[in-house]
Amino acid sequence: MSQSAPNQAEKIQGGSKIVCPDCGHDNLPGADTCEHCHQSLTALSKPKASTAIEKAIFRDTIDVLSPREHPRVSPDMPVGRVLELLVEKRVGCALVVEDDKLVGIFSERDALMRLNTQAALLADLPIRQFMTVSPAALDLSTKIAFALHKMALGGYRHVPITADGRLVGVISIRDILSYITDRLAAPAGG
Amino acid sequence: MESAQSEPPLIVEPNLSIREVLRLLQLQASGSVLVCRGDAVLGIFTERDALKVMASRADMSRPISEVMTAGPATIHRTATIGDAIRLMARGGYRRLPIIDEQQRLVGVIKVSNVVNYFVEHFPQAVFNLPPQPNVVMQEREGA
Repeated sequence: MSQSAPNQAEKIQGGSKIVCPDCGHDNLPGADTCEHCHQSLTALSKPKASTAIEKAIFRDTIDVLSPREHPRVSPDMPVGRVLELLVEKRVGCALVVEDDKLVGIFSERDALMRLNTQAALLADLPIRQFMTVSPAALDLSTKIAFALHKMALGGYRHVPITADGRLVGVISIRDILSYITDRLAAPAGG
Repeated sequence: MESAQSEPPLIVEPNLSIREVLRLLQLQASGSVLVCRGDAVLGIFTERDALKVMASRADMSRPISEVMTAGPATIHRTATIGDAIRLMARGGYRRLPIIDEQQRLVGVIKVSNVVNYFVEHFPQAVFNLPPQPNVVMQEREGA
């Protein structure tokens, strides 16, 4: 490990001083320019990834999670049929597609919250009435950090993925989990 | 393990009807209940099981114990988050009941807890992101 590494760490964590890399002057914490030589110090305060996982979620795109194809259904399909499809295909959500465009998503959580004990009674009504309308989709080239951001703030478990505006599949929280698991053992710095 | 645990889990008796359990889940906006007798975990009933019940239009007056997943995988309270993640990934579980030395239930860990746990451990990386990717600010924000 080089001599400058501990200094670097001190700066990132808002340590007591910012040492100018050019002249070595001790600046007050938070200084934008060096008081001595007026060099810009802003580049030193950029957040740095500290763990292998943190680095990875900024480097890798959703591409590496290989979004899975999920059942696509028409908005007019009876909701009872969609339920059967979810069980049959062993997936947690179906994409509702009209004219090749994503118009909604229907997950097992939606089934539980919106059909509940009435499932048999409502089975013949179209999925259109129960789906979550216009779900947020992400592009295949988006970094994994963004998918995490969406899931953590929105509380979603499934995010539809598009490539050039075309629907390609879904990534689920489970894909993220196995992504993290795969990298958990990896040493920092990778 | 306790650091990533969710709010106290919903617990029901094994003889409660499916209908009652579904209503409870809807009311509590929750995805699963644990079926317990006393402190012992007999099974778990999740939205996945609920989906099967709804799809097959099963009789909702049957007791929950007939459709629950009996003897779910559990994790000990002293286990690490890493252990929980590996167990979840291997078994395809999204929830693990946490138990103590006497096999008594102490809580539940969910896959969303795990992901949030990670997110909270690098907030700079996740929470500092703009709402849309690839946003370029025209002007510098702040002072």
